[in-house]
Amino acid sequence: MKKYNYQTSIAPTWCPGCGNFGVLASLKNALQQLNFKPYEVVIVTDVGCAGNMADFISTFTFHALHGRALPPAVGVKLANHKLPVIAVIGDGACYGEGLQHFINLMRGNHDITVLVHDNYLYSLTTGQYSPTTPKGTITKSTPEGSIEEPLNPLALALANNTTFAARGYALDISGLTSLIVKAVGHQGFSFVDILQPCVTFNKNQTVDNWYKDKIYPLPKTFKDKTKAFKEALRQDKLATGIFWQEKKPSYHTQVSVLEKRTAVSKKIDEVDISRLLEEFI
Amino acid sequence: MKDSFNIKIGGSAGEGIKVSGLTLAKSLTRLGFRVFGYSEYPSLVRGGHNTYQLHVGVEQVYSQVKQIDILIALNQETILLHQDELTTSSLILYDPGDFKLPKGQLKGKYLGIEFIKIATQAGGTPIMANMVSLAATLALLDLPVTSLKEIIKNAFKRKSMEIVEINQKVVEAGGQFTKDNFSKYKLKIKVPKDVTTRMVLTGNEAASLGAIAGGLQFYVAYPMTPATSILHYLAAKAKDTGILVKHAEDEISVVNMAIGASFAGARSMVGTSGGGLCLMAEGVTLSGVSETPLVIVNSMRPGPGIGMPTWTAQSDLQFVLNIGHDEYPKIVLAPGDANEAFIQTKESLELAEKYQLPVFILLDKFISENDYAVDPFPAKHLNQRFSFIKKSYLSAHIYKRYQLTKSGVSPRSVPGQKNSTYCCNSYEHDEYGLTTEDPKTRKLMMNKRAKKLDEIQDEIPPQQTFGPQKAKLSLISWGSNKPVVLEALKNLPQVNFLHLNWLWPFPKKQVLDFIKNSKKVVCLECNSTAQLGQLIKKELGIDTQPLLKYDGRPFYPEEIINKLT
Repeated sequence: MKKYNYQTSIAPTWCPGCGNFGVLASLKNALQQLNFKPYEVVIVTDVGCAGNMADFISTFTFHALHGRALPPAVGVKLANHKLPVIAVIGDGACYGEGLQHFINLMRGNHDITVLVHDNYLYSLTTGQYSPTTPKGTITKSTPEGSIEEPLNPLALALANNTTFAARGYALDISGLTSLIVKAVGHQGFSFVDILQPCVTFNKNQTVDNWYKDKIYPLPKTFKDKTKAFKEALRQDKLATGIFWQEKKPSYHTQVSVLEKRTAVSKKIDEVDISRLLEEFI
Repeated sequence: MKDSFNIKIGGSAGEGIKVSGLTLAKSLTRLGFRVFGYSEYPSLVRGGHNTYQLHVGVEQVYSQVKQIDILIALNQETILLHQDELTTSSLILYDPGDFKLPKGQLKGKYLGIEFIKIATQAGGTPIMANMVSLAATLALLDLPVTSLKEIIKNAFKRKSMEIVEINQKVVEAGGQFTKDNFSKYKLKIKVPKDVTTRMVLTGNEAASLGAIAGGLQFYVAYPMTPATSILHYLAAKAKDTGILVKHAEDEISVVNMAIGASFAGARSMVGTSGGGLCLMAEGVTLSGVSETPLVIVNSMRPGPGIGMPTWTAQSDLQFVLNIGHDEYPKIVLAPGDANEAFIQTKESLELAEKYQLPVFILLDKFISENDYAVDPFPAKHLNQRFSFIKKSYLSAHIYKRYQLTKSGVSPRSVPGQKNSTYCCNSYEHDEYGLTTEDPKTRKLMMNKRAKKLDEIQDEIPPQQTFGPQKAKLSLISWGSNKPVVLEALKNLPQVNFLHLNWLWPFPKKQVLDFIKNSKKVVCLECNSTAQLGQLIKKELGIDTQPLLKYDGRPFYPEEIINKLT
């Protein structure tokens, strides 16, 4: 029996067989398990196929600009740190257009969950190479094959002091649900790179010729970061599960202004500035 | 007997020139004088030529003026660079132990006062030489050093009382030395009869205080001259005020973070200068389409590109009026002085929330960093909240975040509020916030947002006019030029002046009423293409004569007088 209804009036517009369905289902399951009422959660989505989820889930949603889902997610969190905040973003937006936000806000250990739909491609714009596309891949924008080395999201995050790093797989709904529950429950920056097939545009990373042989579950979370790093660098296999988790104070718990209350609950109906004026006299 | 006088301090960066100037400004204000402080400095941490000039008067002095009565020269270069601002009666204070006078013909009277020696002999360190120069200046004006000693106490008491006492001794020694050796050079000045309490502060400080008074809850910025001191001030006061202040990784993050905070219900503001605003442009349109309140302080400096970071310009007006792609309503305000910066920044937070749109405060280096002496701001401020729905609303209505209303303004919920979820959407959306590409809805939503501008027309306060009702020549200007024009008007009795501090929506009727009675209209502004002139032409179809300056320097009243007589 489902306690809360996260369904909106809009049916998802994704292609049949799209990995996004798996992520959406897992996210909804996770919210049920976490016992979150729809109005108690904020989901900030980016632009792209993944970002269109904003219309399909009945929490408070914020459909951001392309590449910019993380700054407003942090803005919401800093304004009202009592709200759980989840960012839904694609590989192009997170690792390309908005990479500076990913790197910098991760360093701050802002208490948000970042779910990256990583399909190795820009799909909403009909298939150009993305930062995670393997070198040499022919796409519409790289007809002679992409020249750049692909970005390694997990290795990057591990090197950049993330306090939670995981890899999920869109077609493994029960595994992904559990990862999202743990990521949202984590105090601090939690990052899940979610591998997903793009059935329409990505003919290289398909279930049969890519995921079937590569995906395997991590037996347990690493205690030694170098081992987690080594696993993240592996190319022959793609482990799913939590690579790294550590306890560190999240950003808002280190801001003295937020010790007793949220920023948004600062009373402003009557403001007295008399003490501030003194230094100018 | 002089009604007003002009002091300039010059030296290289890192010599504490701005601090000296401000200390003198506050000391003279405490003696009842009116002051206006203007500083110039290059974009360097050490070296380069820095100046601070202080215009002082018994009656209101509005702006800086060219001619120098007292020049405190902290290096030889200062003496050479400012010869054309000196007269034969100007006093030049310098330390003969530090450097020799330059060779050749020099204007003015040169008083060698060994600032460093006097400071060290009184028990101080060489760094206190500046205090000697300030004390010497007061002595030459036949003014007591008491207020200077008070300011020193306030500035240093947190460090230690010992530092206060040493500085005060240095001040006494500097004053005494000057009296003993140079009393025949004393300037005869009028002294104020009464002492009125006034504040001395910059436009950026005034804007910051206005934001605090207006209920600011969230400030996020990336450092950029000349807006940076807002970030510094608000960050320093975060603990006292309870405002969340964040330095984000870039201006793109800044604007999007602020919009996120605003979506969560916080009164949010960002601050930047032109280059940073370019990066924010897309974010500003997000505020527009998602109808999320946002205040953007843009302190202008000359561009394009990096331009001249520490100099002044009013060259972003057309950029701000048209910022971002497509069309959405916005408000553009341009305070003329510290008092207006306070009032309008406070108001901007209210306007942004009331009409759910971006509101710009256009400052520039000139207003951001000048020291203005103003009557103390009111201490207590009441703030109303707008459009937020309550529980009772939800039981009686179907909540639609982007409901089509007569005013164009829709009810608003905040995350965490029961049964009122919606999508705050950067895509075009329907009344519920759901993405749509339906042509009818698109048009309705465009019209809904645009309609807000009609409502805002009623918010435009009377724009200030000065001078005779009928004049041979009428001046129109905007923003920070106000004090300079007012200073010039002292010598232009037949000129009247319309100061615009509200630029969008354009105060059509008020400008038309002013122009109607004018024989000749001159538009004065600090850019090269007459951006206000273009706006007047576009809105009213009327041509004005441009009076422009775009060399990075502000207008001087003398220049305006020369051009108009």
